[in-house]
Amino acid sequence: MSTEEISGICKEAVFSTFFKSHAKALRNYLFYKFGNEDQAEDITQDAFIKLWQNCADVPLEKAKSYVYTIANNASLNVIAHQKVVLNYAKNSGKSELTNENPEFILEEDQFKLKLNKAIQNLNETQRVAFLMHRIDGKKYAEIAAELEISVKAVEKRIHLALVELRKEFDHFK
Amino acid sequence: MEENYPLAKWLSGEMTEAELKEFQAHPDFAIYEKIKKYSAALEAPAFDDTKVLTGILNTPKKAIKTISLTQHWLFRVAAVLVIGLGVFFTFKNFSAATEYAENGNQKNFFLPDNSEVVLNSGSEIQYKKWNWDNNRTLELEGEAYFKVAKGKKFEVNTALGKVTVLGTQFNVKQRDNRFDVTCYEGRVKVNYNQTQMIITKGMSVAFEDGKMMTLPQITAQNPEWMAHELAFYQEDLKAIVGEIERHFNVTLELKNNANTQLFTGVIPAKDINVSLEILATTYHLKLTKVDKNKYILESLDAL
Repeated sequence: MSTEEISGICKEAVFSTFFKSHAKALRNYLFYKFGNEDQAEDITQDAFIKLWQNCADVPLEKAKSYVYTIANNASLNVIAHQKVVLNYAKNSGKSELTNENPEFILEEDQFKLKLNKAIQNLNETQRVAFLMHRIDGKKYAEIAAELEISVKAVEKRIHLALVELRKEFDHFK
Repeated sequence: MEENYPLAKWLSGEMTEAELKEFQAHPDFAIYEKIKKYSAALEAPAFDDTKVLTGILNTPKKAIKTISLTQHWLFRVAAVLVIGLGVFFTFKNFSAATEYAENGNQKNFFLPDNSEVVLNSGSEIQYKKWNWDNNRTLELEGEAYFKVAKGKKFEVNTALGKVTVLGTQFNVKQRDNRFDVTCYEGRVKVNYNQTQMIITKGMSVAFEDGKMMTLPQITAQNPEWMAHELAFYQEDLKAIVGEIERHFNVTLELKNNANTQLFTGVIPAKDINVSLEILATTYHLKLTKVDKNKYILESLDAL
């Protein structure tokens, strides 16, 4: 009896690298969907556990779509959706502080607050696609693959999200 | 038709020079620029990936398989498929099939030998699909019209009596204590308690509480209920009310009725208001509508 060679993602080093590359983005995506940090983390963890346990059956190139499929299915069972609470990075807008007057800074702060709220109010599909592009920096093709929709569908959601967000600022002109 | 989403193209930097210049001249451009700039400054909550990773790697793992990968899972899949198919077909063939028509509906279906059955509202049939051609026997609760393909003996069993044919068209009705059989074609043998009789085309027989009635000749080709008409021969008000309830899927409450007169005739049943009006007039009842699913019929005769 020959011992089986441990394939691809069953190697701890390979799995760990894969995890570090993709887990946060998956968790973020789930968070953008239903706003609950703990649930997003739980589903992410479950998806990767399943990957780890079935590592022998999942070739490395299919691993990403594997975890996203499991996560998407699991999120169908999540009923309670909350507001998606986001924060601005600490250094956002700081570079302008020294140059601009207080009035301008106040206006910008108000804009940022309104924007955050407006994003919370977007409908789920638009919000998720928009944040995956803006925060995680994913390209439309990547978003399409992860959401299992077409690139055109992603473009439509992003476009509509921008239209909706602009509506919030009708009096800011 | 290709839809265009210019704002999405702009956001990902895919606009052409010309398109971009045009957009920059738009009054809303400044707002979109700000949305673009600040939305990129947002952050999702922190994620301790090391902690989660450690947790995952510590979950008990299945032992490394020593059998070659391909052979192992293929065999498992094949075995499951074979067992699954076997169970499915066995179950399908040996178990009884049930057909059911709810109140307000009629149901039309074929038996394995292409005999045709039409189930009236509130009726149910059970039969075994396996070996049907050699054992054409079914259980009926309620009313059904049968168009039996030629073949071996065909039997309809009900709680009150049994009908046997070789190949023909007939209607069987079993409700409460009343058992009616009407033959539209061919010959039909009817068993009720100790009575056995054979009826032929156009003949109709009814049994109630042990008594038999021979009904007048029928000239119709099909039972009236299939054409939304309710036909009765010497039936009491309760039976008629039940028939209307099932046909329209409504609830009828009969109040203070002492009228035991038997009704013979046909009530049209396309429109419930018409049917109820006729009933109310015939039996001297006051009709009150509670809602679209419930009506009250109250006797106007002095108690």
